[in-house]
Amino acid sequence: MKFLLRKDLDHSTLIAKLMLGVSVALFFYLGLDLVLHGYVLGFDMGSISSTLYGNAEEFIEPILIDTLLLQVHIDLFMSLFSIMIIVSIYIRLFSEKKSSKSLVHILFILGLLAPEVLILAYFTSVLFVYVWLASFILWHLLAMWMSLHSIKRLLFK
Amino acid sequence: MKNLRLYHIPIAYMLVYVLAILATGIWLFLLSQGLASSDIFGTVEQIVLAPKAKSFHSFIEVATPHMFAMGTVIFLATHFMLFSTKISKKISLFVSVLLFALAFFNISAYLFISFALVVSGWIKLLSLSLFVLVFLGIIAMLTFSL
Repeated sequence: MKFLLRKDLDHSTLIAKLMLGVSVALFFYLGLDLVLHGYVLGFDMGSISSTLYGNAEEFIEPILIDTLLLQVHIDLFMSLFSIMIIVSIYIRLFSEKKSSKSLVHILFILGLLAPEVLILAYFTSVLFVYVWLASFILWHLLAMWMSLHSIKRLLFK
Repeated sequence: MKNLRLYHIPIAYMLVYVLAILATGIWLFLLSQGLASSDIFGTVEQIVLAPKAKSFHSFIEVATPHMFAMGTVIFLATHFMLFSTKISKKISLFVSVLLFALAFFNISAYLFISFALVVSGWIKLLSLSLFVLVFLGIIAMLTFSL
């Protein structure tokens, strides 16, 4: 973040291009992360429930807590870095907008909520799977929208 | 810089994320030592008396991502101390370097157990506790600086 803060964008095309590159990379990362989680946990409620709680009729064992916790541990790490970078660039470019502060808060809260709720869903009920699904998809879409906004500003300033 | 105060928000959230990463990491470690079949105190006792055997392959599997991840998380957290006007650069430097050293010690501690250089798992518990303690110290310093 310190590197993003220092240079004046008008006088350094390099930092502007670097920000553009990382925003594009993170935009695609977020899209692929949605697909990857679909493959790991399931693309619909039925398959997500089967992964978390098992399915006696189809002889599917529930996911091991070690495996799920490792996924959550990695998710927290990846979301921390991706959100930090997206937010730092967004604040740099749109600090004058009133909505920036709220967007940053919402993105961080949803990004933190998603993995925590997944663990909660594993130990409690399928109700939390809906909360996880909503928060997970929402934070990804919001982060993609923010990076797309940054890309647009950096390209057509 | 137009609105530097806005940058306090990501820094504050980063501290919460780091705490969650630390908590899930400790939970994962305890699970690998048999937390599923006994309580926390029983698991800690088990680690001290007879830690689970780990092959060199398993050690590398755990150590490799952690070398990268812990290094970058420490860098991310500690580099914000550069913005601090309340804590001296000397203290920041000392705590940051200490944290990197403890992370390295923590990651490699299981090697001593894998190669039977120590029988007890106290070395892993000690390194983990020191690392978490100093990390909490950095988090407290950053919170104070915000």
